[in-house]
Amino acid sequence: MSGRVIVITSGKGGVGKTTTNANIGTALARAGKKVVMIDTDLGLRNLDLLLGLENRIVYTIVDVVEERCKLRQALVKDKKNPNLCLLAAAQTRDKTAVTEEQLKKICEELQKDFDFILVDCPAGIEQGFQNAVAGASEAIVVTTPEMSAVRDADRIIGLLEAKEEIKSYKLLLNRVRPNLIKSNDMMSVEDVVEILSADLIGIIPEDTGIITSTNKGDPIVNDDNSLAGKAYNNVARRIMGEDVPFLNLEEDTGVFAKVKKFFSGLMGKEK
Amino acid sequence: MDKGYVENGFIVDLSNARKTSEIIYELSRILDLPEAKDKKVCLKLGEINLNQSELVSVKALIETMDSELEFITTNSDMTKAAAETLGIKISALENKVDAPEFNEDGTVEENLNPELESELDKIFGEGDFEERYPEEDEEKEINEEVRSDIQISTDEFDNFDETYDEIKKHMKETEKLPTLYVQRTLRSGQSLKSDGNIVIIGDVNPGAEIIAKGDITVWGVLGGIAHAGSDGNNYSKIRALKLHAIQLRIGDIFARRPDTVNIPYVQKTDSFVPEEARVSRKHIVIYKLHEA
Repeated sequence: MSGRVIVITSGKGGVGKTTTNANIGTALARAGKKVVMIDTDLGLRNLDLLLGLENRIVYTIVDVVEERCKLRQALVKDKKNPNLCLLAAAQTRDKTAVTEEQLKKICEELQKDFDFILVDCPAGIEQGFQNAVAGASEAIVVTTPEMSAVRDADRIIGLLEAKEEIKSYKLLLNRVRPNLIKSNDMMSVEDVVEILSADLIGIIPEDTGIITSTNKGDPIVNDDNSLAGKAYNNVARRIMGEDVPFLNLEEDTGVFAKVKKFFSGLMGKEK
Repeated sequence: MDKGYVENGFIVDLSNARKTSEIIYELSRILDLPEAKDKKVCLKLGEINLNQSELVSVKALIETMDSELEFITTNSDMTKAAAETLGIKISALENKVDAPEFNEDGTVEENLNPELESELDKIFGEGDFEERYPEEDEEKEINEEVRSDIQISTDEFDNFDETYDEIKKHMKETEKLPTLYVQRTLRSGQSLKSDGNIVIIGDVNPGAEIIAKGDITVWGVLGGIAHAGSDGNNYSKIRALKLHAIQLRIGDIFARRPDTVNIPYVQKTDSFVPEEARVSRKHIVIYKLHEA
């Protein structure tokens, strides 16, 4: 078995890399895939928090690199899903504790046992980014419909294009607010795609549920009623090669819309 | 605290500064600009009181930044006395051309310096465009399309008397240069340098940079920084389907995007009229190329 190594990156901080990682990872695991997530944000680790695994971390990636433990020992199993593992980052060290070569080696080793290796990249374009990208062959660039995030994504895509190991990259548009787009106060999905001229793999609506799910340490894809959770699930399905249409983010906005949809469904006019 | 221009250097107006630290900060900020290198500096100090040691440190700061303190103007007796003992010239300002002042909403204020106004007249006025660009009906269009920012340059380049033949001659020379042909979008942080011309099929995104000794042609939106004629050829041209550059440089003349144009991104669905930037009387002017 040779798993796919996907790096999730953005350039700008705070656009939702780690949230995306936790949710896509959980969704893939729920679909029966064996998934391992690597947190490469040494010194500022968060991925364990989002998964609620903070208390279970004994060894970190730095312990593996410095041969204080075996790679297998450092993998933390998820509470709910046995298919999901986490290789946590060290909180007490900085980005220089791991080199590109070492990360590449870890990825190669994990490829033997897992279907998907998701690498959570730190913000920025320095050593941390270079490390995270080193072992990957695919990339997901997370951005939000804000000019600053789009600029940084542009820069990141430029850097990814220059890397030979990265065979493909996809764009994930996070924190989209359909109401603001409607009132012309936010860049539309089309605008972002046009500027970055990259393929889209998902559109995630802004969802307050993300905040509670982060605080609880339970990824939102586990909540079947959440729109953001659905969107993340669709991203996972697209990664697995399914052809899933993008969610119509406006459909769930009001009771009236639902009623209208119900009737148009009855009349057979639904598109 | 604006920045003016004199013939061989520029005036730094510090009269609004309240503390010595503000003077130091503003001075080092302005002297750090690339165009400030090896130029003479004239300080406008207004009511500020500087003692001898403070004045010495200001002078030393200017010298460490590779500039030279030419003279100061001051209304303060204390500063005047300090300057006299240090042998720094005190002078009235002459030959000053104010840099255009922008309000917060970006509009140019009405009270422009008469000299600047005459410069503006030269660009916007009827002038002798006809001599060089004989198409009569196009001429009015040109004047309406002037979008470049006004920047007073200090170089000696002068093309008032040049003839159509001369432009032709320079075009021929540019044709002889090698051309770099790129078929992809240049993204933020990427830069392209060439000893000849550059043709890009794709966009040049904000944050990207292209520098060519010859002409630059972008078949797409030019949103970054473009420098044509990088070895000082002011006859070079920059063309794009949409010129939305943050900064344009042709030879040793540069123009930046006016503050009034603040569209963060260009919608590619817009139908474009290709544009060309070239130097006309020491200024970069953008012309719209007509639909056929």
